[in-house]
Amino acid sequence: MELGRLEYLQALVTEFQATDSPDAKEQVLANLANFAYDPRNYGHLRQLQVLDLFLDALTEDSEALVEFAIGGLCNLCLDKTNKDYILEANGVEPVINCLSSSNEETVMSAVTTLMYLTTPQSRQQTTALPVVECMLRFSLSASRRLSNLATVFLEDYCTPLQVEEARNLSKHTAVGIPLPKD
Amino acid sequence: MAAAGGPLGDACRHHAQLGACESRAKYREGRRPRAVKVYTINLESRYLLIQGVPALGVMKELVEQFALYGAIDEYHALDEYPAEQFTEVYLIKFQKLQCARVAKKKMDERSFFGSLLHVCYAPEFETVQETREKLQDRRKYIAKATNQRDRFLAKKVEGPKKIISKNSEYDCQRNTSESCAAGNWDPSPCFPNSHMVSQNKGYPSGNHNQSQFIFPQNDNNCAETSGYFGQSMSLTQNVQPGGHTPPVSSMQQRTVPIDNGIERFMPRTTHLQERKRRREEGNKFALMGTYMDSTEVIIGPQLPEVPKVDMDDDSLNTSATLIRNKLKQVAASVSRTSVEKPKDSLAKPLVKQRRRI
Repeated sequence: MELGRLEYLQALVTEFQATDSPDAKEQVLANLANFAYDPRNYGHLRQLQVLDLFLDALTEDSEALVEFAIGGLCNLCLDKTNKDYILEANGVEPVINCLSSSNEETVMSAVTTLMYLTTPQSRQQTTALPVVECMLRFSLSASRRLSNLATVFLEDYCTPLQVEEARNLSKHTAVGIPLPKD
Repeated sequence: MAAAGGPLGDACRHHAQLGACESRAKYREGRRPRAVKVYTINLESRYLLIQGVPALGVMKELVEQFALYGAIDEYHALDEYPAEQFTEVYLIKFQKLQCARVAKKKMDERSFFGSLLHVCYAPEFETVQETREKLQDRRKYIAKATNQRDRFLAKKVEGPKKIISKNSEYDCQRNTSESCAAGNWDPSPCFPNSHMVSQNKGYPSGNHNQSQFIFPQNDNNCAETSGYFGQSMSLTQNVQPGGHTPPVSSMQQRTVPIDNGIERFMPRTTHLQERKRRREEGNKFALMGTYMDSTEVIIGPQLPEVPKVDMDDDSLNTSATLIRNKLKQVAASVSRTSVEKPKDSLAKPLVKQRRRI
């Protein structure tokens, strides 16, 4: 059974790399991202370097690919080994870039991923001033899901000082990153 | 989402059902057609939105059906939510995310009073605190799951000699924790003990009697029920005079041999058919508001006895009583063959008999 799983995942990775069909690429990536939800697959996914595959896909042009890749990262980044790996591979930066996506799912996954990637060492990066500013804006979003998530981020992961600082800054710069479309 | 839309307005779009994917490669095809979608913790929720409920006043039935998968905290109809004509939309909040997960899996696309339900998570109804707890629960779950895995691997590396006993111990632990905490891969339903209690708690008091009325008879005749309440009720009364409920074991004894039978070799098709049959049977019970996997028996108030008819004549009354008792004896002997506790069922009618004469 375990062997079967590894082989199946290997087939998915191979297809993702080999196929020319954008549809197939999306489907396979979504498949892998869903596999990343279950901790039992983490060993296999690391072995097949799916973490790198997700990180690379964050820079794809296709919005769907980015959505699925950040979803996959959001699903597996709580595991300590995975977290360390992503931080080691400078994964925080591309995740922060996802915050400016116009796709709400991508933004949601990015916010959660940033929460889960926050450690004493990475805190400075994951709660950098522009990020906190972004969260302030999200917390005012009409989308309840997004505003809830941003509120949790501000309350649990940022210091009041950080929030205050970001608030002052955003007073001066009225235009920011546009909110996601839906 | 339009700024004016509010939580309801934006809900519509993200709940629009995506079309199933038609172009999947053979090896990636699942059992059911599905859209291309990635689930993350953000999309999941203890809140389920149920669309496509026929507007027939079937809220009680709907909630009973969902309560099979775990305790429900709250439920109500969403009157303002845009719905198709003649259907209603409901919101159900489960106590545990895992239960909502199973309920969604089992109930989505299920037929309910002639209409297909569309069940989806509704995280937009969460409060900030609920969102926070959801994220923390996921954190705890992963920590637990991966820690155990690590410990398991560590043992394996460090002490290969002791591995036999250790192995089984860890497997055991892992299995239990995975299935009850949050087995995500193939989630098994969780049934908290407080299940029935909290289910009842939710009913408006007017319905209370009726719901209690349904439960007691369900634990009697799982095997015989044909789905009609009326029919099954008379059956109950014939077989168990005086509202006497058979021991729990009777149901288990009857189901156990079936399970054992499966262990024998069976061709795959037979196996699938059997599974389908059992699923359907499960659905049938589900419709009646029982849940099968429970060993807990809920006993409600006794059913009223059939009123004795006065024939206005002593001799007629005597023969009527005789006939009634005879019927009971016959019924008792039937139940004796099916239930493996003959003494119990024999003793009860006898007591009754003496009292009446």
